[in-house]
Amino acid sequence: MTAITKRPLSSRDWFGKTMAGLVLGFFLALGLAGLLRVLVNGGLPFFSARGQLSMWLMAPVWGLILSFCFLFRSSLQAWGWLFLANLAVWGLTALLGGLRL
Amino acid sequence: MKLPTDILRMYKEIHGWVGIISGLALFIAFYAGAITMFEGPLQQWASPPTRLAPAPALEQTPDLLAKVLAAHPEAAASYTVNLVIDPTHPARISWVVAEDAEEAEHGGGTIHYASLTPGGELQVETRGPSPVAQFIDDLHRQVGLPLDHEIAMPIMGVVALLYVVAMVSGLIVLLPSLVKDLFILRTGRNLKRMWLDAHNVVGLFSLPFHIIMALTAVVFAFHDQFYMAQGIAFDKSGGPVRAAMGPAPAQGAAPSALPPLDLLAQIRTQVPEFQPVQLAYAHLPNGRAVVRVSSGDPDYNIRTPLYGLVTADPVTGKVMSVDYMPGRQDGWSASVTSFFALHYGSFGGTPVRWAYFLLGLAGAFLFYSGNLLWVESRRRRERKGGAVEQTRATRILAALTVGVPVGCVAGIAVTVAAARWLGDGATLGMHSLIYHALFLACTAWALWRGAARAGWELPLVACLAMLTIPLAGLTAGGNWDQPPSLMLIDLVGLCLAAMLAMVSQAARRRWRTGPRDSVWGTGVSLSAG
Repeated sequence: MTAITKRPLSSRDWFGKTMAGLVLGFFLALGLAGLLRVLVNGGLPFFSARGQLSMWLMAPVWGLILSFCFLFRSSLQAWGWLFLANLAVWGLTALLGGLRL
Repeated sequence: MKLPTDILRMYKEIHGWVGIISGLALFIAFYAGAITMFEGPLQQWASPPTRLAPAPALEQTPDLLAKVLAAHPEAAASYTVNLVIDPTHPARISWVVAEDAEEAEHGGGTIHYASLTPGGELQVETRGPSPVAQFIDDLHRQVGLPLDHEIAMPIMGVVALLYVVAMVSGLIVLLPSLVKDLFILRTGRNLKRMWLDAHNVVGLFSLPFHIIMALTAVVFAFHDQFYMAQGIAFDKSGGPVRAAMGPAPAQGAAPSALPPLDLLAQIRTQVPEFQPVQLAYAHLPNGRAVVRVSSGDPDYNIRTPLYGLVTADPVTGKVMSVDYMPGRQDGWSASVTSFFALHYGSFGGTPVRWAYFLLGLAGAFLFYSGNLLWVESRRRRERKGGAVEQTRATRILAALTVGVPVGCVAGIAVTVAAARWLGDGATLGMHSLIYHALFLACTAWALWRGAARAGWELPLVACLAMLTIPLAGLTAGGNWDQPPSLMLIDLVGLCLAAMLAMVSQAARRRWRTGPRDSVWGTGVSLSAG
């Protein structure tokens, strides 16, 4: 409802949004791949088929975030929301014991 | 479907910019990629008869191998035994001498081919089948950037990401008018409308193909980085990451390997439905000797899980892994294999290869038409701004839009034809030189003459370049023993030449009658700005 009063979206903030999509999008893709690893790969070797699949997952996630990050109202929002998403995904992965540390 | 206008306007702008940045590189990647669909027949067409003595029988392989290893101990690290001898695999045993591991991993280095003379002496040749197919494959992967693999790949990765964004944004822009515009090709006075309709219809109908290509291209460009990042973050075994797979240490395990016939017998008892065509002996990163037994399309090099692959112990013949063997894969492996197969069009045989060839050419058209549309909308905006002539930047981009694609088409045509004249003196470097000479000449010509004039002159050049293929087929290497089906290559060359002649005609008409303020109209050249 409030969106109507806001200024229309434009490609003005493209640089900040693109950078958020590139950097945080990459980490989000990496985190999701880690989550998939811990969920399906278990103790299998790193380069098992499931391990490879989790590497493949990174391309669509990264590409789609990069494509849709322009829908954020501002670059600040892009960085903020993507940061929160990263926190959630990496937190869950860590909780499940998927991190190397 | 209705979308807010601000989102549409924003994505339209994004689509234009990512398109114009990546369009020319994508044109080259798609055109060259379309040709790699027929890499095998092309290599056969371009390969001179081998100078090697006829390959010894398979049971003589241990004798040949012993002589190879005595004269060339470096071959022990990894060598290949061909079970099927044909023009693209002329030698029973071959091995690669590469400068370093990086070169070896990406198909570089000098291939050595060994055979036995009738007197039983060792014969080694470094001149083998034509390298022109490999050149086109390289061109497809790094669009001719004269850079090291490690530098070129991230650049191509960025192009692939731009391609993803262009695809998504293009789809968003198209959505609202999708139903209205889909089956309409408005050929009328409004040429821009026609190009836009064509661009939309080609883009939409090949969307599944482009989704596959974009996502696999991102992985192919960045897999080293992806694996490295995952290794740092998640790999608890702390084992070597993929990049650390170096050259195999020469450990002399090879001589004790089973003779090929015994090995094949062993394999047959374990996986009877597998049809081996090649045995590749190598060492795992941990130094353990393996033999990778491949099946499938013998026209192609073994590089990916594209072909059926069984890994076995060369000493005992025991099968170690069937992860890459069709029919024996589990769902996870089969899924990963399908990504490769979908990129390479290596499923469904010849019809799919033709379909991919056409889809690749359609993709090249997509990027070319996208560039044209960008130039055209710049013209409108500039005219609204009161400009009588187009700006220098637009004229340069228009010239590049003509010069780069046509230069690529002409360059590939002549470098392929040259394979017939060069014979077995051809090297990767020579093919690259011929291609780049034509490519740069065409680009420079377009910049000098302006898009309008180069727009019909260069397609004429490319038409002549294309005609060198059937000409070479007729005049050079007439004594080459080749199946008549390869005449199809000359025929395709003729068809493309005819199409380029038509393009030239149409562009010439436009040059004469087009509006003066357009880059396609009369007499606007860069030097006149």
